[in-house]
Parts: sequence; structure tokens; C-alpha cells
Amino acid sequence: MILSLLVGGALVGAAQAGEVTLWHAWRGDERVALDELVGRYNADHPGTTVRPVFVSYESLGSKIEAAVPRGNGPDLLVFAHEKIGAWTAEGLILPVDLPPPGLGGGELHPVTVEALTLREAVWGWPLAYKSLALYYNRALIPDPPASTDALLAAATALRAEDRWGFAWEASSAYADAAWMHGFGGGVFDESGAVRLDSEANVAAFGFVQTLAALGPAEPSGALLTQLFNEGRVAMMANGPWFLGEASGVDFGVAPLPTVSATGRPAAPYVTVEALFLTREGAEARAFATWMAGDAAAEVRHRVGKQLVANTAVLVTDPRLGAFRQQLDTAVPMPTRAEMARTWEPLARALRRLVRGAADPVEAAHEAQFQYDIVSRPSPPAADPRPWFVAGGLGLLAALAWLVREVRGAPIARWRFAFAWVAPAFSAMTLLVVLPFLVGAAVSLFDYDQQAWTFVGLANFLDIVLARDFPIESPLSFWSTLVVTIGWTVANVILHVGIGVALAMLLREPWVRLRGVFRALLILPWAVPSYITALIWKGMFHRQFGAINGLLVAIGLEPVSWFAQWSTAFAANVTTNTWLGFPFMMVVTLGALQAIPRDLEEAAEVDGASGWQRFRLVTLPLLRPALLPAVILGSVWTFNMFNVIYLVSGGEPDGGTDILISQAYRWAFTRGHRYGYAAAYAVLIFGVLVLYGQAANRLAGKKVV
Amino acid sequence: MATLSFAGVEKRYGAVQVLHRVDLEVADGEFIVLVGPSGCGKSTLLRCIAGLEEITGGELRIDGRRVNDTAPRDRDVAMVFQSYALYPHMTVRENMGFALSLQKHPEAVARVADAAQMLGLTHLLDRFPRELSGGQRQRVAMGRAIVRRPKVFLFDEPLSNLDASLRNSVRVELRRQHAALRTTTVYVTHDQTEALTLADRIVVLNGGIVQQVGTPDELYFEPRNRFVAGFIGSPGMNFLERVADDVVGVRPNDVRIGAGPHEATVEVVEKLGFEAMVHLRVGTEVLVARVEGAVPSGTVRVDFARAYRFDRATGERRG
Repeated sequence: MILSLLVGGALVGAAQAGEVTLWHAWRGDERVALDELVGRYNADHPGTTVRPVFVSYESLGSKIEAAVPRGNGPDLLVFAHEKIGAWTAEGLILPVDLPPPGLGGGELHPVTVEALTLREAVWGWPLAYKSLALYYNRALIPDPPASTDALLAAATALRAEDRWGFAWEASSAYADAAWMHGFGGGVFDESGAVRLDSEANVAAFGFVQTLAALGPAEPSGALLTQLFNEGRVAMMANGPWFLGEASGVDFGVAPLPTVSATGRPAAPYVTVEALFLTREGAEARAFATWMAGDAAAEVRHRVGKQLVANTAVLVTDPRLGAFRQQLDTAVPMPTRAEMARTWEPLARALRRLVRGAADPVEAAHEAQFQYDIVSRPSPPAADPRPWFVAGGLGLLAALAWLVREVRGAPIARWRFAFAWVAPAFSAMTLLVVLPFLVGAAVSLFDYDQQAWTFVGLANFLDIVLARDFPIESPLSFWSTLVVTIGWTVANVILHVGIGVALAMLLREPWVRLRGVFRALLILPWAVPSYITALIWKGMFHRQFGAINGLLVAIGLEPVSWFAQWSTAFAANVTTNTWLGFPFMMVVTLGALQAIPRDLEEAAEVDGASGWQRFRLVTLPLLRPALLPAVILGSVWTFNMFNVIYLVSGGEPDGGTDILISQAYRWAFTRGHRYGYAAAYAVLIFGVLVLYGQAANRLAGKKVV
Repeated sequence: MATLSFAGVEKRYGAVQVLHRVDLEVADGEFIVLVGPSGCGKSTLLRCIAGLEEITGGELRIDGRRVNDTAPRDRDVAMVFQSYALYPHMTVRENMGFALSLQKHPEAVARVADAAQMLGLTHLLDRFPRELSGGQRQRVAMGRAIVRRPKVFLFDEPLSNLDASLRNSVRVELRRQHAALRTTTVYVTHDQTEALTLADRIVVLNGGIVQQVGTPDELYFEPRNRFVAGFIGSPGMNFLERVADDVVGVRPNDVRIGAGPHEATVEVVEKLGFEAMVHLRVGTEVLVARVEGAVPSGTVRVDFARAYRFDRATGERRG
């Protein structure tokens, strides 16, 4: 937070009169188009200087939320429309006057305007849009199916040994919304309440299950791209982002088919990219209006390859034309706050549905049940005054203790010592102590709809007493703690076992090319962990993964690694063991250098077998070096977010989530329960402090 | 109690041969000292007996049994290392009892107590090696070997980390232990004094070749070649290169000052209290005489009570 403030401040600098700062995350062709347009606009408008600033998409949202309220934000920014619910509530963006219909002979597509409309005002200038549509391989199917019945028939007919008729990200709530809308359902019911288990949604889930069974297993975006380009998938639902990745296949694009059961079109979500006004200014408004207008839209379309919201732009490419056709029936991505809490329950239910672990009715109820859990009402506000008193007393006690400790100490004599310690001390304070204190403070609050409420220990009580769900539910703190401890113990045993074994092996006199092996074995450690995790994730894929490939090659059945707890857990542990053993090996190799060979020879002459020599002589002598490494390694593993998040993603049903990934989900995928997540983090910290104390006591007992 | 038998034992590391055809019979209960300059192969030979090095040629028997391919743990030998190699994480008691505890030996406790008694270690039994002095560690290392009652004791320069006075007392102690236990012992040292005082028989090695095997007296009085003659005895034998066809060797004890055929000049006198080492020049050559009583000076006449002759080329003894 503090950091993003600093960065935000640095980005803006002092705004000058007539200068319009624009934050965007456009790259490649879109950026070229933007630069061309800004250059043209600045030349034509001598009184105005538009200054585009690139900010990565991932951090753009949070930077805006941090910078704008403090007056450090830009004048304009480009972002997707989903945020307008939150941003209007926080007052970050201002309503805009859209160009009247017919300006410059064109018109902004009504769906894109609808997306930006909230409480009878429009909150941005629509620039571009993105939605799913139907891609089809012309060589395999010349005419795309117009109805879901035709789609099912074609998907069945086109199925071959190593080919599928239709594929899409079947367990993605974003992708399946198209079918939910087509069957007459959706996330919200007519009254505007979240209703995931409506009859229409159940029907849509049934269709999803049937269609997914005809497609490849565990389809991800990357897999779709690969299979379609190899001609192994005849049709797919995908977004315009695929156009840049297509190669080798003659394909067409069409709107998604009509749902035969209802006669309604399958309506995908559409996301509208728009210019938002964060600070009042005539120059900024003029530039934004011009950017949405015909001339600029033409450049964005031609140079930037955008699907522009301005319908005056003539679309000649039939593929892009299909996306515009799709826009007519698309549903703007809802902007309401509840929406953020529906993703995870839906995704979880859809994953169960697609892998056949739940029927459509169960999946729908599961989704609604999970939604109700994560959106349960905020705890009541608590009176902060006792806390101030307690906090004040605590501070006084700490000060008194400090004074007593320091009194009589020759501080002047330690002047230089203080000077040397100061840089590290201030860095640690800034980077560790302050964020920790902020996090601890956040854990006493509840965050809902941009509002912070002081709730005292309510978050902790909710977590520790497992108030919202049964204690054995994967969502509960205690069952997650058990999984986390099991995960840590399994990993550390394997890391140390394999690391020490390899280090001992590398020391054997008959090993040749020792240096090469040592380098190779350290390699897994040198590769960034998220890359390794993604590689292993791919290797565990049911249909295309190397591991199932091996199993099949030796005549075994392929395994759906993430469909049951034991194999998903094993996949996580395998990945993290790959990442973790080199550290233990390096520590052991170093420690072995310090053990004289004599000792092992003496034991050998004394009659010890190889195993006895290791267990009775070498291992006890490695202990002092290994113990800190084990403590460190177990803390790392306890908080190893990357592997859990990227490999199993908590599958199945959150069962393999550990505390840190659970905390992440509460903060970011279950409706921004920041206070609750912070309480999780404090509890994790507490568990690790206890562990550290216990480990210290253990280590202090008998170390040579 | 055991005999040791070496028949053409060889050791090479790739192209480097470090032991050449060693033939030796060690009798039961004998105290054998392997002596020679550093790099002569004496430690390698000891490690071959322990089984820590593999023999690349010939045959080694312990008590008649061929052990070329027997693992160290099955040879029933005990070894005291130069570094003592005490297990730092074990107490003295655990160190000494280690081998017996591996065998779950019923007498382990009693034997450790006995050995500790014998070596004066009883009050140190619960200490860790890091809490002991050098001499105490040395005794623990000995104790660790003694409690096993092995067939053969192997010592690898066990006194080299001790100071001079301690070394003398431990030497005597070693001799006493051996007299009591009568265990076949092979002892490696580079110090000829240790060799002479401890050994029943001495094996002199040079360049991986056995130069001579014999009792201390045999080696001292009847060296087989110039190397042995020069190595055994302190100070070493004087070699005069130019007084005859052969090289003439004279021990410092055998130089008589006062009358004789050779004229010599006194150059340096090292006084050692009871005796003195007198460095003399005879013509172009120098020699050392051990003198008791009055120290000469200036020009003197010298005679040799006993002289050895060695072949100038081969170094073999010729008379």
C-alpha cells in the first residue's frame, strides 16, 4: 500500500496546466495506435498536452485506488468496465457526457454504453470490447452450427481418436456464463439477488456436463490454443485474444449458437474497455470524446487491431465482424459488488460438474451454498475505545520496559554501533515491521463495499470457532491447518531425505563427473518456482501430461491427478520436493566438508555397516547444520503459496489449500474479505512463532 | 591374538605404484614398527591392513585367513588414528564402547570400565572429546581400541600431536600396555627414536620398498644399506665420500678423539649437558662426533672405533 503510494506519486509528478495524464496498460499494436493518436491530437491542439503513462494491467487497478483519493492520480485512465461499481462508490471516477448519437456519422454500440451505465449515469467513454465467440476449423467443418443441438451433433460426429469436435474452458464461470444466459439463467435473478441454483442454471449445467464429456480433459486457455492450431479441435469458444495466437489452420469465427431448448442465443459476457475520468478538466473530456469518436476509432481498429465500440468504423474482416455480431447479444459483465464473490463458488462447482463428481443439481446447490458462506453478513461493529485503552497501556508498558533496559547503559559509547545498525533497522522497520503492524491492525476490521468497520476480534473468533461452516469443511481454519501441517511434514521429510541422500552419493569416490551432477541437481533451485510449478502442472494434465504418458506407456491407467485429494496432494508434494531438495543437498554438501573422513573410517574399522556409519556418525554430525535448514525449510514450505496455487489450485474442492492460499482466497477471490484474510495471516504468524519456539528449544538441547 | 602375513603385497593408484612387493611375516603378539620418511608408503601399508585401502597385488593374511577382499568391519582389527578420530557427539564412554555396542556385546560396560581404569580415564567417562586435553584424547583413542580386544592393533603416528615430554611418557605407557596385553601390533611412525624404543622388529620403508626388517639392534648395528644406516640412530651416521673406494659410514658414537690417523678441525660444538655433539672437518668432509666429558677445540686427531662400507653406486653394505 505504502509502496504503491510512492510509485503512484512518482508516476504523476506535478501536473501542469493543459496537461492531460493518461494511465493505460496497452502494449504492442494498441500502444502504437495510442502513440499515433496522442501525437496527432497534441499537434492539432496546441493548448493541450496529453501524456500517456504505461502501467502494467495487474497493478493499474490498485494504483488507481491508492493514488486518486490522495490527488496523485491521472486525469484519465483506460480500464475494463467491471470496476465501475466499486469506483463510483468510492468516488474515484466522474460521470461523462457521451457524444450524441450521430456524431461524426457513427454511434457507440448500445451494449457497450449499457456496460458503462450505472444509476442512470454513464461512467466512461467505451473504446473496445471483448467477448467469446465460436471459432471453427473450415477444413473440418465448413459451416458453424447455429443451435446447441447442431453443436452437440457436430461435436459427436467430429470426435476421432486424437481429435475433438468442440472445446472450451468448461469449468470457467466466465465461459459458462454464455450457456447460463442462453438457458435463461445467470448469476442474478430478476430481483437482482444472486441465485446460482435456479432451474435455468441447472439446465445450463446439464448441457455443460454433456458437452464437456465430448471434449478434451481439463481444457485450459493454453491447451485450447495448442489443440486448435494443431487441428485437433474442430470448434472452440474463445475470445479475440486468440486471433494473435492462431497459426496453421484456416478458420472462421461466428456468434455462439442458439440454445435449442429455449430458442435464446448463448450470450457471453462482454468486457468493455473504456476511458475513465478521474479529475475534472475540459481538456481531458475533449480528448476522451475524441478518442471514442470515429476518426480515432478507425485508427484503433486499423493500427491497434481493436474491436472498437464505435460502430461507424467499417469492419471488413469477417472474423472481427463475427465478434461485432456477437456483441449484439452479449451481456455486459455485471459490475455489482456481489459479483466478485460468485466466481470461486461457481468455478468450484463447475470443476466438480465437469469431472463428473456432481450432477447438475448438486453442482448448482453447491455453488449457491458456497456463495452463501463467503457472502455471509459482516460481523457487528465493535466499540474501539477499550482497544485504544488496552493499546495505550501496552505501549506504555513497552516504553517502561525499554527505559528500564536502557537506563544506565552507556549509549554515547555505542554511537557508532547505532549508526551501523540504523540502515538495516530502518529497512526492516519499513519492509517488515510496518506492514506487519498494518496487517495486524487490518485483522481487527471488516471490509465491505469500500467501507471499513472496526469489529475487534470478531474475525479471529469466526475463524477459530469455524462459525460459518463445519469444522471438517475444507474452508475451515482447522482442517486447513491439518492439511498445511501434513503438507509441511511430508515435504520436509522428502527434501531432507533426498537432499542428504544425493549429497552422500555425490561424495562417493566412484561417482564421475561430480561437478556436472552437482550443477544439474542444483538447477531445479535456480529456476523460478512459479515456472517450475507451471511445468509440473502441465505434466500432471490428465490427457496431455508427461506423467500420464509414462503411466500409459508402461501399461497403467492414466490418473486424473486433481480429481481426488490424495493424488492432488501428491502432485503438489512432488512439485515442491523437486523445488526443495537442492537446498537441503547444498546445505548437506557444505556440512559434509566439515566432517573429517577419519571419523567414518574409524567407525568402519569399529565394525559399523554403511547404514550404521551414516546413522550413528555422519547424521549426528550433520545435525547442527541441518537443523536450521530444516526450520527454515519448514517455514518456507508452510507458506509455499506458488505451488499450491499453480499446481492443484486447491483442487479438489479446496481440499489441498494450505493456510496461506486460503488467506489469499479470502482476500481476493471471495469478495475482498481483507480483515478476515488479515486475521488468517496473523494466525499463520502465530502458528509459525510457536513452531519457531519449539524448534529452538529442540535445537538448543543437543547440538555439537 | 593373531599372525599377519604379507606375500608380495602391492598397491597402486593408477600409474603410481606406492607399495612394491612387500613380504613380511608378523608373529603373534609381536610389536612391529613401520618407519620411513614421509611418502614412503608406511601409512598406506597400515591402511591396507585395516582394509581402508584395497590391495592391488599379492596377498594379505590375518591369522592365516586371506583378507584381501574382506571389509574393514570383518577383519577384527582396531586402529588409532593420528587425529584420534574421536566421535565428537559422543561421550568418552560412548566413544570407547562404540564398537561393542554395535555388536550388542554383553560385556561392553565392564570392558569400558576396565579399560578406563587401566588408562586413568574413569573420571572423564561422561565428558565429550572437546572437553579433553590432547593427551587425554590420545588415551581415549587407545582405550577405544583396547576395549575391543581385537586380533591386531594398528597405530598411525599416534604420538605426533603430543608435546615432547608427553610423547616420552606415552611411549613408555604403550610399551607397558603391550607387555600386558600381548596383542599383535603394527605401529607407523616417522620418528626413529619411537621405532627403536617400541619395536620388537622394525620395518624400514623407502619409496614403497622395504629396505630392511629386523630388531632395533640389528638395524642399528647391522644396517643392510646406506639408507637404513642413515635413517636409524640419532644423530645420523656420518658418511665420508672420499677417504676410500667405498663410502665409509661412521656413527657419531664411534668417533674417537685424541689419537688416530685422521687430522680434524673442530668447527662447531653443540653442548647437551652430559654430552656434546662436535662437528669436525676432515679435509673436505664434515662429520659429527658424540663426546662425553671434556670438549676438544682447535686441531685434533681422530680415529673410528667402527666403520661401515657402502657401495658408492647401489648403497649396499659391503663391510
